[in-house]
Amino acid sequence: MAANNTPAGIDKEQAFGMAETEMEYRVELFNRLAQTCFNKCVDKRYKESELNMGENSCIDRCVSKYWQVNGMIGQMLSAGGRPPI
Amino acid sequence: MDKNMLAGLEGLPEEDKIRMSAMIDHLQLRDSLRMYNSLVERCFTDCVDNFTRKTLQKQEETCVTRCAEKFLKHSMRVGLRFAELNSQAATQD
Repeated sequence: MAANNTPAGIDKEQAFGMAETEMEYRVELFNRLAQTCFNKCVDKRYKESELNMGENSCIDRCVSKYWQVNGMIGQMLSAGGRPPI
Repeated sequence: MDKNMLAGLEGLPEEDKIRMSAMIDHLQLRDSLRMYNSLVERCFTDCVDNFTRKTLQKQEETCVTRCAEKFLKHSMRVGLRFAELNSQAATQD
């Protein structure tokens, strides 16, 4: 979704709008990813302020898997559109 | 979210660059404020359960400090991985 050249027919306002929407989407994606992986990987008892090795590995893997799921869903939505009811 | 996004703006005319930069600043500010609020809520929820006093107990304070530091470190790590995955995706397109 990152085209630097606006295709003919899209005016500048639309391009700015699309860029803003894309950026907001990325921020939202990042925030949800961070929240989700924190919930899944970090012990809530907060025994210390550092992340231990297990948590670090978990976070890396969680981010990677979340990203894959994000890609899968993106493909499904762009290919099939709405699922039949 | 960081100024790496500005790297993509090189070819644009000056006024567009300024506008995009202002947009990014606005998004960053909003994101920082949201993060602040959500971090407070998270650490409060995880650390504070006792309402017999109206000031935080020592152990609650310690818990909140660790909670916040942990989340911020986590957030930085996620940011690194996110940027890596983003740049991989960009080169694949």
